[in-house]
Amino acid sequence: MGLFNYNIEKYSPKQLVIIPLVLLAISLVLLALNMATTGMPVTPGIDFSGGTAVTLITTDTKEQITSYFAEYPLVEVSDMGNGKFLKFGLMDDAMYKSLTSLINQKYPDARIDQIGETFGKALQSQAVLAMIFSFIGMAIVVFLSFRTFVPSGAVVLSAFADIIMTAAAMNIIGIPLSLGTLAALLMLIGYSVDSDILLTNRVLKRQGKLNDKLTGAFHTGIIMTTTTFAAISAMFLVSWFGAIQIIYEISAVLLVGLLFDVMNTWLTNVGILKWYILKGGGK
Amino acid sequence: MNSKELKALLTDWRVATLLILIVLSVIAIYPHIDDQGRLATNLQYGLDLQQGSWLQLEFRAEVVGFTTDQPVEAFVTNLSKKLDTEVIVVESANPNHLEIRKYYSQVELEPIFTSEQGKLTSYQQGVSKSTADTVKRVLENKINTLGTKDAKVNTLTGINNVARFIRVELAGVDMKQAQDIVGKQGKFEIRIVTTGNQTEHVLSGETITSVQVPSQEPAGSDNWGVGFTLSESGAAAFRAAAIKYGATADPAKHNLIMLLDNETVYSAPLSNNLAGKIQNENIRQLYASTGSGKYGTQQATNLEIHLRAGALPVDVNIAGSGGVSAPLGEHYKIMVILAGICALIAVGFVIYYRYRESSIVLPMVLINASEIIILLGFISLIKFQMDLPTIAGLIAVLGTGIDQLVIITDEILHEGKVPSPSLYLKRLSRALGIIVTAAATVVIAMAPLALMDLSTLKGFAIITILGVLVGVIITRPAYGRIIMQILSK
Repeated sequence: MGLFNYNIEKYSPKQLVIIPLVLLAISLVLLALNMATTGMPVTPGIDFSGGTAVTLITTDTKEQITSYFAEYPLVEVSDMGNGKFLKFGLMDDAMYKSLTSLINQKYPDARIDQIGETFGKALQSQAVLAMIFSFIGMAIVVFLSFRTFVPSGAVVLSAFADIIMTAAAMNIIGIPLSLGTLAALLMLIGYSVDSDILLTNRVLKRQGKLNDKLTGAFHTGIIMTTTTFAAISAMFLVSWFGAIQIIYEISAVLLVGLLFDVMNTWLTNVGILKWYILKGGGK
Repeated sequence: MNSKELKALLTDWRVATLLILIVLSVIAIYPHIDDQGRLATNLQYGLDLQQGSWLQLEFRAEVVGFTTDQPVEAFVTNLSKKLDTEVIVVESANPNHLEIRKYYSQVELEPIFTSEQGKLTSYQQGVSKSTADTVKRVLENKINTLGTKDAKVNTLTGINNVARFIRVELAGVDMKQAQDIVGKQGKFEIRIVTTGNQTEHVLSGETITSVQVPSQEPAGSDNWGVGFTLSESGAAAFRAAAIKYGATADPAKHNLIMLLDNETVYSAPLSNNLAGKIQNENIRQLYASTGSGKYGTQQATNLEIHLRAGALPVDVNIAGSGGVSAPLGEHYKIMVILAGICALIAVGFVIYYRYRESSIVLPMVLINASEIIILLGFISLIKFQMDLPTIAGLIAVLGTGIDQLVIITDEILHEGKVPSPSLYLKRLSRALGIIVTAAATVVIAMAPLALMDLSTLKGFAIITILGVLVGVIITRPAYGRIIMQILSK
């Protein structure tokens, strides 16, 4: 395929891994900073911190909406396609009830989601556990499959870098950690290793020149990522247009993650693998 | 491809399995035109794709670990008095846990335990599994009597069998109604008028052992009411109070009042007939009449729920809630169908750009679509409720499923066209090896979500895992067989 002309042959292992390693370091610093200020590495959304989210399909302007809900702790109004998203802070039961009646009366077709603070907290600890278990599980599968330390380690490191960079990017573009984006991150753990496994498998288990194998793997790998990217882009565009927040967030995170995956597979993982083979491993 | 080759292809077990499953799936999905002339299927939708509401309730109670050098029974009785609530030994493999049916913080509890010569060893907000199941049953009863066609009540049980939350989903009910139905659980009480405005406690909700559905008394009279049954001790208390305050002698002056959360929900005198009976014996079977016609029916329905509310053993508060209106659900449905179709087309374009050969692209896209059909068939078969995250999962399956078809195709096409069947099989099995590893990582990565109680994401995780399994077990091997036929031409 002629779209990408990437010559892995040209670069030394060091040159390959330097950019992603710097990015990984920056990402880790960003997450640590966020942790210091908010208590979580990724800014938690309503699902985890509690609050109320309202989806409206309306032509009313932000100013109009803000004035309607002046008496309530309205935190944010955002646009998405033909919809508006309202975020409210924590309220007591009585206030929440009066808010629901007001919404029912003004916008009978709205969607309302309210998460209490305690439930959000309970979810937070489960979310952290889910991330850890997923990651460890993935690493075990990878190690069992290749049974050699450096290549397996390279795959796991690439997946780790994907997640960390994606999480850092979420903070920068302002996508909060919700149940949807958590699912997307977990999915990235599973799927980002797809192309890494292909690459490692081709390099370790096939006969032939290293550079031919790398080029072949790249051709297959990049098309794999492109097809996934295409499907998720379709989902992203339609969900933006149709104001479906949860799918919009899931697809946004997956898209960002896939981009980092391309880099981490074809720079980080390739770099380490090349270094390992040139050093005489894998024979 | 001549007819002989086609026959060989169709009778190959891998291809045959795929075809049979597609047919079965279409039958399971059962697309048809319904009475209103609209396209309908057997697929069930979750709350965000149809009108409905959900409520998440938090138990105002805690399960604590304890040790004491006192006899456990006496310790529990004293504790119960001090805390002014029921304290129950949790029956489980680990018997040194108590359920305290009122909210206290750990800091509040510690000195109380110490003063009773015990020690608090662990603290967790929530109730035991069996209590949670009771609450679940009560809520289900309450909801069912309303005739809601589709209601789900799930307790969210943590790792150590302590349930802290319970989730109620009501299809076809708006938020306000849902809040009214289940949001507030109250303490039920029957009081009796003594003199003037003065009332005295007669019995509380626990003594009501069962509540009947609204009925007409006598049958066919359009005079409505609700029958309910008292426990033996409840009936005795009821009779004692009725006699003590003179309700049996002069019913009209001594109304019986039912209160829910200290608000009167029902007030009426004993009927003369009943007053006479109660004078002589304990009556366990009581009937509260609510009036006639539509009003009477409505009142009876509400009263029934109020009577049942008394049976809820633990206080709850709303920890979360939400709702989607019918038009928005409809809008979401159209949008996700659009998203699915767009995703399939986008994938088709990329594949075509890569291979430029419709004899490869077409089978790929068809296999990809068939995977979705089989998944949907499975979803309708198990009556799984599809929600928005589930659909995101389906589309993600579509995007990644094609990846694996690319792996197979490229692995086989390596260094030109396929030479011999044996080499072909070697390459196919190598491709399947890569795919199985990749699939295993996805299954493992999504497993925590499917198992944990982050309920709204369960669907997403289960569908992703199922999609991967369907792919690895059914569609990839079939694709390998089909593409061999095509490439060997």
